[in-house]
Amino acid sequence: MKLLVIEDDLANSKFLERALSENGYTIDLAHNAATAERLAMDGDYAAVILDLGLPDEDGLTLITRLKARGFSAPVLILSARRAVDDRVRGLEQGGDDYLVKPYALPELLARLRNLLRRNASPSDQSTVLRVLDLELNLLRREASRAGETLQLTTQEFALLEFLCRNSGRVVTRSMILQQVWGMRIQPDTNVVDVHIYRLRSKVERPDLPTMIRTIRGVGYVLRDK
Amino acid sequence: MSYAINRPRVKTAAWRISLWGTAAFAAGTIILFLFLHQFVAHEIQRRADSWLTGEVGTLGDVAEKTPQGVLYDRIVSEVAELATKEVPHGHEPAKDPNRSVFFLQTNSSGHLKLWVGEQNKNAVLQAVHAKNILPGHPVDIHIPDAFSDFRVASTRMNNGDVIYLGLSGREENRTLDTLRLYFFIICLGIVLLGFLIIFFTTKRMLGHVQRITDTAATIGHDDLRSRVPEVEGNDEVAQLAFTLNRMLDRVENTVRQLHTITDSLAHDLRSPITAVRGRLEAALLRTDEDGWAEPVASAIDELDRLCEFLTKSLDVAEAGADALRLQKEPVNLDELLQTMAHLYEPSMAERGLSLTLRSSSPVIVDADPSLIHRMMMNLFDNELKHLPPGCSVHIRLQSEDGHCNIFLEDNGPGFPDEVAAHIFEKYAKGSQSAGSGLGLAFVEAVVRAHNGSIEASNLPSRGIQIRIRLQRSSPASLASSPATSSHTGV
Repeated sequence: MKLLVIEDDLANSKFLERALSENGYTIDLAHNAATAERLAMDGDYAAVILDLGLPDEDGLTLITRLKARGFSAPVLILSARRAVDDRVRGLEQGGDDYLVKPYALPELLARLRNLLRRNASPSDQSTVLRVLDLELNLLRREASRAGETLQLTTQEFALLEFLCRNSGRVVTRSMILQQVWGMRIQPDTNVVDVHIYRLRSKVERPDLPTMIRTIRGVGYVLRDK
Repeated sequence: MSYAINRPRVKTAAWRISLWGTAAFAAGTIILFLFLHQFVAHEIQRRADSWLTGEVGTLGDVAEKTPQGVLYDRIVSEVAELATKEVPHGHEPAKDPNRSVFFLQTNSSGHLKLWVGEQNKNAVLQAVHAKNILPGHPVDIHIPDAFSDFRVASTRMNNGDVIYLGLSGREENRTLDTLRLYFFIICLGIVLLGFLIIFFTTKRMLGHVQRITDTAATIGHDDLRSRVPEVEGNDEVAQLAFTLNRMLDRVENTVRQLHTITDSLAHDLRSPITAVRGRLEAALLRTDEDGWAEPVASAIDELDRLCEFLTKSLDVAEAGADALRLQKEPVNLDELLQTMAHLYEPSMAERGLSLTLRSSSPVIVDADPSLIHRMMMNLFDNELKHLPPGCSVHIRLQSEDGHCNIFLEDNGPGFPDEVAAHIFEKYAKGSQSAGSGLGLAFVEAVVRAHNGSIEASNLPSRGIQIRIRLQRSSPASLASSPATSSHTGV
């Protein structure tokens, strides 16, 4: 899958290029708006990763112009500001997404996957989620591990559901906060960790292998093999 | 928010201006009238005097030439009567000249010799003697029972007799009365008309000013793009609107420059951090379980903290310049607080703190959800970081007419004395605090950007109370903006 990365910072673009190619994407790099525009109109890209602060032009102006010219690939906007411009939110409603720097790589990958999937087919509508011996019935809001029912609160269930949907992939604290609590914020404290800790005490059993792994500094991953 | 107030009419500037304008106009008209009145009265008297002097001269001549005898009285009386019929103010002959004119002749010793007139002759004689009337200098005398004063001229005959001719001031008074009445009616009309003209002109002009004020009042931190209505023409009001709009242009420019600076600052600082963080992360994901993971992970944590500090600093700086960018939508505070409480309850319990929330019904405010979330998170983080175990935190959401109050209380040690006075200032923190000192400054900035108010104090017993007062959205603004607070899923 071919991606267009528009980023003026050399270190960042190199890092992105490497991380994305390791995850199976083909990358074209553009360091300014002019190159980006030329590439975008010629190449066939599945998605665009765009840094807002470009040396020759505002990233949003560029993307608005591209869209006006019929460019239809989804855009993941990288912004340095948390208080994002309302135009960015407008784009977000149009199917695009944004991410505030500095981001965690798993989050970038998750959002990118999400953008590509959104563009392709509707998301999974199944009512039962299964990860190894963990089973979640989404209709009855019931969870069980190895056949044994887990007594989960509504929030714990939502948290476990989110981990299951992203099993095998690292999820960050801010992803969890956004998905489970609907907040796009970065807490100063360990609020999310305590929730994971509580969930663990219910999901993990001494006689069964560990399901939820912590990756310090990054986030958590639900083991799927 | 609008500052437009329906003032009672008497307090409007239009009313005051009209009142003062009319008063000045009326005063001017009265002064003008007094001059005119004086002039007319003087002119009437001058004419009366010249008639009297001429007529008394004629009568004197007639009396002089008429031989003293039986016919003397009759001839002189008739001549006098004839004379009294051609009183001045000729355009309107007096209806009863006999009543308005008298003729009196006295001998040298002052005794009545001849009298023609309707008045009480003795009273007239007395009045005439009371004043020393010199020939050629008519004077006013007052006669009891007469309608008005008489103007009397005299002439002395060769035999020592004195002839007096008196003219009633009634005609003169009537003329002046008519003049006054006409003046009063016309003046009242003109003054009323003037008042109406001034009032409606001023009202119309000040209406433009009021509209400018109303529009200017709605231009807040979040709406610098609006401009006051510019009116046609080049008068003061048009210039006011024009000047105000140019001033707003400059303010908007300054704010935009500030945003450009903070944006590029954020970009220039965050981009390298992002690169460093990315590398550390990549290293972390590769280094499994060996001794490197711990320091790398804590380096990432430090970077995140640095970024949060940067974000808060920039936001507080923007808020200080009243330039915080808001994207407002309806936010249900009740729901938000419930979510927050659910989110924080486990961490608080972990630290031995208890959390209670009292909120009964949905309270909708028009606010920037991201800022409000971060604001609440700062408050909760603050409690979590600073309260010793065993304390409790109470959150209360109260709504009253048009406003709502969020109360946050705890029974902890309270604000340290050294920061209590300037708790919302940047970098204000207790000596024991490990925080950045930006938390409450940021909270205050967000509240202020939403036109709210915040108070923080130590409770008399123990602990602190923070009260945040925000404006609730009016039902009208709710209906006009779609309630989109959904969160897109990954």
